[in-house]
Amino acid sequence: MDQLSALLHMSPATLWMAFKVVLVFAGPLTLAALMTWVERRGSAMIQDRIGPNRAALFGKWRLMGLPQLAADGIKAFMKEDLVPPHAHKFLFWLTPILAFLPAALGFAVIPFGQSFQSGGQTYHLSLLDPGNGMGMLYPLAIGATAVYGVLVAAWSSNNKWAILGGMRASAQMVSYELGMSLAVISIFMTTGGYDPHQIIAAQHGMWNVGPQFVGFLVFFTCMFAETNRLPFDFAEGESEIVAGYFTEFGSMKFALMYLSEFIHLVTASALIVTLYFGGWRVPFVANPGVLLSVAAFLGKTLFFCWVFVWVRWTLPRFRYDQLMKMGWKVMLPLSLANFLFHAFLMFRRG
Amino acid sequence: MFLIFALITLVGALLMFRLKNLITAGLSLVLCFIGIAGLFLLLGNPVAAALQIIVYSGAIVVLVLFVIMLLASHEEEKPEKPRGIQRWGSAVTVSALGVGAIWIVKNSKILASPTTPNVDPMTLNRLGASLFREHLVGFEIAGLLLLAAMIAAVSLVKREL
Amino acid sequence: MAVIVKQVELSWLDRTYFWPIFKGMVITMRHFLRQITTRTKDRYTVQYPDMKREMPEGYRGLHELKRFEDGAIKCVACFMCAEACPARCITIQAEEFSDLNLTQGFEEKRPAIFKIDMLRCIYCGYCEEACPKDAIWLRKDYDLAAYDRLSMQFGKWDLMNTYADADQKDRITMDPSPSTQTKAGLE
Repeated sequence: MDQLSALLHMSPATLWMAFKVVLVFAGPLTLAALMTWVERRGSAMIQDRIGPNRAALFGKWRLMGLPQLAADGIKAFMKEDLVPPHAHKFLFWLTPILAFLPAALGFAVIPFGQSFQSGGQTYHLSLLDPGNGMGMLYPLAIGATAVYGVLVAAWSSNNKWAILGGMRASAQMVSYELGMSLAVISIFMTTGGYDPHQIIAAQHGMWNVGPQFVGFLVFFTCMFAETNRLPFDFAEGESEIVAGYFTEFGSMKFALMYLSEFIHLVTASALIVTLYFGGWRVPFVANPGVLLSVAAFLGKTLFFCWVFVWVRWTLPRFRYDQLMKMGWKVMLPLSLANFLFHAFLMFRRG
Repeated sequence: MFLIFALITLVGALLMFRLKNLITAGLSLVLCFIGIAGLFLLLGNPVAAALQIIVYSGAIVVLVLFVIMLLASHEEEKPEKPRGIQRWGSAVTVSALGVGAIWIVKNSKILASPTTPNVDPMTLNRLGASLFREHLVGFEIAGLLLLAAMIAAVSLVKREL
Repeated sequence: MAVIVKQVELSWLDRTYFWPIFKGMVITMRHFLRQITTRTKDRYTVQYPDMKREMPEGYRGLHELKRFEDGAIKCVACFMCAEACPARCITIQAEEFSDLNLTQGFEEKRPAIFKIDMLRCIYCGYCEEACPKDAIWLRKDYDLAAYDRLSMQFGKWDLMNTYADADQKDRITMDPSPSTQTKAGLE
């Protein structure tokens, strides 16, 4: 690290930061692109189909359908970029950015590996170093702004379906945020801190999913609602509101919004792993080291990404009133009960 | 850095006043809030910044926009005839507030001896401690007020209880 | 007609909602694992251009004009198929030929032109049934496609060679014996 930074005439800290920025931006993006592939092939396999497997590199290598990603990307770039006549031009243009930015930013605080020391300096494997004061509030804040992508998309495209879909999606995101936040707060409480590094350090020996199983269930369910995925995908509905707030978006605009949903998925999995499954911790290994810890984190995250896909192709969707009932009458009280229970336990322990 | 965030805040606030379209005005309010969150960060208070984004731009403005969209009054409202007293009254109030703010800043003790005070950023732990130790009464009163407001809202909306 | 929907009494385990979801997920996982471990050729999906489905007996696909061993066409140009055709897609022009050979010892008729418009054909098989000589068969080939309309007009030689490769027969482009008209023309 020191030699490389000397070679580039940079301080090790700057080099490390640049490296992390690239990694944190490109990593979830790549994973999200891969997830579109996993979603399509995985859903096909679950339904005893085969899925897209015919796109081939130079007409030769099919690589299990992976070139389909490139083909889709090229297609999205080549398509006509259509703006509907009565849309709000500026906001319509802004929407994909509003959808993409929160998705891409959310990952910044999550530690994806064990911190290591090199040349008398500690390097942390998360974009924001511990002790930044934001901690896990940061992904919550970023997640809260993700609603705007939906709302603005809905409103700017000047379309009934879009606005209905956007209303549904954003109402659901706002309502489920409460249950989610309470679940996260009970983690803060038992940890005694809200920095992700602290949370992971506190999960030494026992992952949070054990003592906080109810909280985990609530958080997990809310994550489905936050990412607008089945069984809570009310943003779209082919027979009722077409593609919801996506309806008027085409070409690369659509591709960006679609991609940002998958980045949300990756970030949500990473959050679940960090909060409840010990982050980069490996069972029965106290100090896994950099490579093993990153591999463990990646493995866990990918597993949860797969669970998102898996659940999507297992469950039918809810009805909208059922969804709202579940959010306010089940998830929120459950989350509150979990919070009070842990508060009581801590009080008893003193 | 300060200039950037201050500019964002100011532009957001001005746009919110000048734009006739309610939705875009609401969105520029969000821009303003994000600028304020950035200013909080510069003041070494990331907790307030995060809460600013979570609570104000994440929940309140969303609900406001929601209501605007539901009411479906997408047409720009016709401006009411400005009354002279309103205009002058607002001008006087704004200038009085502005002068007062400048006066307070000018006469503040920290500005007289500019040192960097506490550098360690605010944490949630410290915030919680101060909220529940020093400001417990205020906190409880605010909670009670919000509860009363909530009950009132429900009773207003729901005809048959 | 009224249908009485049976109300299922849910146990408390089912009412927790998570246990039934778990069961459902096990089912989908089983499907996933089964499908991912099956070899491509054993899956339900037939990957069309690479794999072709074996059509059942009695399938009516692309026609073949049958031939004798020496390559002479079996068709005697009786026009029965053209008459039977509901789509009127068969065009025949007859000619005479007389050459003593193994199979046909005397003056005979045969088609000089035998054309089927595959775009009009509805593959009903009436021509096959009408044929007294068993000279036209509808067989199992089904992937007929072309870039222009003209190449969907199958002539006599096209029709005689449609299954030549599948049956490992020679492609023929000429009658073994010339027609009498041509002979007369030559003399």
